[in-house]
Amino acid sequence: MRLIMKDRTHLTRREFIVKSITAISAVYIIPDIISKAEASKPLDAEVSPKTKWAINVDVTKCVDGCTSCVEACVDENGLYGFDRPETDSQWIRKLRIKDIKTDKVTTLPMMCQHCENPPCVDVCPTGASFRREDGIVMVNQHTCIGCRYCMMACPFKARSFVHENLTEQVTSAPRGKGCVESCNLCVNRIDHGSETTACEEACMKEGHNAITFGDLSEPDSRVSIAIKTKSSRRLRADMRLKQRVTYSGF
Amino acid sequence: MPQLKKILAVVIMVFIPISSFSHDNEKHSLKGMSKADKLDQCVEPTEKMQKHHFEYLYHQRENTVEKGIRTKNHSLANCIDCHVSHDEEGNAIPINDEGQFCQTCHVKTAVNIDCFSCHASIPRDSLSRTKSQVHSRNTHIESTAKNLVEYYNETNYER
Ligand code: SF4
Ligand code: SF4
Repeated sequence: MRLIMKDRTHLTRREFIVKSITAISAVYIIPDIISKAEASKPLDAEVSPKTKWAINVDVTKCVDGCTSCVEACVDENGLYGFDRPETDSQWIRKLRIKDIKTDKVTTLPMMCQHCENPPCVDVCPTGASFRREDGIVMVNQHTCIGCRYCMMACPFKARSFVHENLTEQVTSAPRGKGCVESCNLCVNRIDHGSETTACEEACMKEGHNAITFGDLSEPDSRVSIAIKTKSSRRLRADMRLKQRVTYSGF
Repeated sequence: MPQLKKILAVVIMVFIPISSFSHDNEKHSLKGMSKADKLDQCVEPTEKMQKHHFEYLYHQRENTVEKGIRTKNHSLANCIDCHVSHDEEGNAIPINDEGQFCQTCHVKTAVNIDCFSCHASIPRDSLSRTKSQVHSRNTHIESTAKNLVEYYNETNYER
């Protein structure tokens, strides 16, 4: 709202019309487009490398103290733990970084970075850790033997091991003792046509808009626009893992 | 004596196959009601399902995990959704509980299944979905629209 008011003071007639059309379409048309786009991948179609799921995180918008994305991930995937932070599963966590020179504090969400060259896939002895055609790096828990090599190989500490017997799993996120697990870009809901991951949705609902999810292969997707308009970088780009998760505003 | 052996052999040959497919042509009668109770046939002919359901499940699991195929017919989630029984209050009874759909046959045929150490044994929505259903649709659209407008203003992006 604040932004619209600010703009209105110096709008030309043409801009006013364009902006109102944008606003009206945002309220009435875009939700329709979104619900139509939900049918994009038919349920019986295989995922293809044409789709490139990605996330951009704008650290300047991430708010210190906010953990909405973490809570949303827990709720979405039923990651309820045992109040044992050392061993409880964590697919996304908040990091707090302090610049030693300026004392400037930055917080950012850290999850699986969905590398195009994932070290966790290289080390897995059973092929359970794999990269899906559309770029989602995940664990096939039917073949995971729980050796935890992948946890060791991941430079971002993105994976967790399930140490205890679980009950109360949700239907969309099967998980159990003896397997490794990590962020899978909400694969179940994405496959069923959702346009957004739980963490992005939560961040949007809070009004922070720090997380942007989308399909890189579509130039009009939210994440493509975000990457085009802001400079973004991969963490530890020197390792050449080509992560699909990028960070802006460092 | 050879006579006795023969009889024994016949008895074993007749009874073992019968007991390994415990519910041949026999309707399940379980505690509670399930959606499946009201249907004539499963996603494949009953005979086929009784003998080959695990093959369908294996096939589907590879397709789903590796290729992202989410068709319902042979998916475990859908089996559970349809076959889970509900008590009088409408609460789902875990499908692997004693006397329930999965468990009765597997006990009888001494097959130990491990599906439910990871998979939910009743249909269970994730909490974030339940929460957003509670959210009225209007506030959702409003907030999405507001976010999008802000987003377009900030990025100076015009369609
Ligand atoms: S823990 Fe599982 S996914 Fe990770 S390397 Fe071992 S077998 Fe592969
Ligand atoms: S994309 Fe989904 S699974 Fe990954 S961190 Fe976000 S909410 Fe969790």
